[in-house]
Formats: sequence, structure tokens, C-alpha cells
Amino acid sequence: MSRTALLAATMLATTATSLLAEKIPAQKVDGRIDWVYDYQRGRSLAKQTGKPMFVVFRCER
Amino acid sequence: MNGINLDLFQFEFDLTWMSFFMDAENRFYARYGGREDSGPESHLNRESLTRVMNQVLGLHEKHQVQTGRHEPSGRSRRTPEQIPPMRAMIAKRKNKCIHCHDVKVATLRDLRRGNRLRREMVFTYPTPANLGIAIDPQRQDHVEAVRPGTPATRAGIRRGDRIISADGQRVLTLADFSRVLERTPTQATLPLTLQRDGQSITTRLRLSAGWRRTPDPSWRESLHVVGPGCGLWGRRLNAKERRRLKLPARKLALKVTFIWGPHTRRAGIRVGDVIVRLDNVDGDLTIKQFNAQPMLNNTWGDTIPIVLRRKGREMTVKMTFPRQPVD
Repeated sequence: MSRTALLAATMLATTATSLLAEKIPAQKVDGRIDWVYDYQRGRSLAKQTGKPMFVVFRCER
Repeated sequence: MNGINLDLFQFEFDLTWMSFFMDAENRFYARYGGREDSGPESHLNRESLTRVMNQVLGLHEKHQVQTGRHEPSGRSRRTPEQIPPMRAMIAKRKNKCIHCHDVKVATLRDLRRGNRLRREMVFTYPTPANLGIAIDPQRQDHVEAVRPGTPATRAGIRRGDRIISADGQRVLTLADFSRVLERTPTQATLPLTLQRDGQSITTRLRLSAGWRRTPDPSWRESLHVVGPGCGLWGRRLNAKERRRLKLPARKLALKVTFIWGPHTRRAGIRVGDVIVRLDNVDGDLTIKQFNAQPMLNNTWGDTIPIVLRRKGREMTVKMTFPRQPVD
């Protein structure tokens, strides 16, 4: 395993059912995700945008 | 894992990938990840991830976070750096990076140091397969199959049942179920709420000693803490090589490619030897499964016979495992 990373990203608001998606522009679905590598920053962003978080732990070995 | 709050992020640290759906207040909607012995991606796929993401968006709109008694309080804080053996483990590393499996290795070594380690402790985060329930990899709140003669069949669980909750905890994924199982005692009765033909059904799974153990934990990085290893690496011979050496198919045939254990060298094992029996085990194994055998079945200081082929001749050597390491 060469590295461990905590990745936090606000979830893609791609579903039409999301009320929040009306207020916050959905991230463009282009195969790229703007990961946030700091959990507290991810939390602040989630608070600010009202979106849930998708928190990923990734270990490579 | 440096600085991560282990009281909040609790998961199978032998994994290489794990994820959580959360709100900004450190509360959880669902967990996604986990694996069966069969492979690291047994339950990781686009369909199930997309499905749970959509479910979570719906839950988020209604503020329906997990509230069961198995949820972490989020009020305490404990980091990997606070596990006593961790400092020594990372001292020699240039980047001081703490990996997922380091957390479990350090935890087990700490237990070993206090003579509180039991081999079964390596079997963390058991999956529903341990109870006889095969979870549908795409729709992970659905039962794909039920294995006969298991707690699942005795509880009347059927293929196609939708799992609503386990011990009061909402289940959307394999990891949600596994989270509850991790916190379930060795001897327990686990309430399960299912949906079948539009009806809600409650049943109870009766669990008895040994239910956490799985047949092939060789993928677990932390396994080396609970028992001694053979100190070698190798590869399984292919069919052509077996024919040439007149070795049967489906029997152990591992060619030694690398030796790092002083006890391995003392036993007289050499690179190029073909191992055909380890103590009383002669079934066909991968190198990881081979190395897991003594870790699961032997004790530090044990001596076991190993049968090998060298230059066409069969010979038996005796390997004495080292004493238990001092942590």
C-alpha cells in the first residue's frame, strides 16, 4: 500500500428529486469529481451547500 | 489515516476501500464498501453505488440519518496515533503515513502485548454470508440466496426478501449489515425486519460460537499478528509444470521464489523448492492461503513438518516458528 487518503466530496446532485439541486447548480457530470482532501473543509462545504457528503477512505497496496 | 477520528470512522481496516454517506453533523445515512472472502470487489459496483447514492439523496431531503444504538456518538475522539504500538510502527517510515490496515495491526498488537489477543479477533466486520445470507451485489438490501443449514434458513429467510433493518438499524448495503454484525456478540439473537410480497416480517437469527469465522481470511493484512508465518513467498505451479514434475492437479504445489524468514532458512528451505505439504495440509492453495495456514492454526514456537520437492526428490524438513514477537 503506497498511500492512504481521506477523500470527502459533496455528492453529485444529479437526481431531479433533490430539492437542493434547484438552489445549487449540480456538478457537471463529465467523469471528474472535485474531491476535498480535508474532512473539516468537506463538512464546512456540506453545511454551506446543504448537500450530503460522500466520504471515501482509499488505501493502495 | 493520520489524525482520523476512529470513534467516528469505524470500519474494516483490512479493506483497501470504504465509504460513508454523511451529513455535515457527523451523522451517517449509509455505509458502502466491504467484501466477501471471494474478492475485494465482490460488492463494489456501479449499479449498487448509484442505487445507494439515490437512496441517500432521498433520505437527506427528509433528514433521515441513522439513529440506531449501533451508531457512533461522535462525541469522543480517538486517533490512530493513540494506539500504543503505532508510534514504533511508523517511526521508520519516511512519510509517516498511517494506512488503514495499520490501525488494525496496531490494535491487535496492543491486545497481544496485554495477553488479551484471541485469534478470532482477526475476523472483524463479518458479512451476512457468515449467517448464510448471500447479499445481492447490485441491490444490497436484497437476499440473493440462502445457504441451507445456516442461521438464515432456520430463521425462515428466503431468496428475494428485502432487508429493512438489522437490530433496529436501517440496512441499505452490505456494509450497513456488516456494521451491525461487528457489534453483535458471539452468542446472540439478532432481530431482522424483512419485506416479502409487500408484507413486513420480523424474524430472529440465532448465532452461536464461531459464526464470525470465514473459510478464507488470507486477504486480511492483519492476519500475521495472530500467528506465525512461513517467511517465504512463492507461486502456484501451472498445469504444465505439474505434469513435468508428476504432481497432481488440485494438490498443493508452490514454488518458493523468495525467502525472508531466518527460521525458513534454518529449516533448510531454498528458493526453487516446490512445497507439496504443510503439516497436514496438502490441498491446492495460493501463496496467500498457504501463508495463512500457520497464522490460523499454529502457535509461535511450534515445529511442523513441510514436505517439498527438490531436483526430483521428495524430502521432509522441519520448521520451527520463532517465539512470539515482543510488541
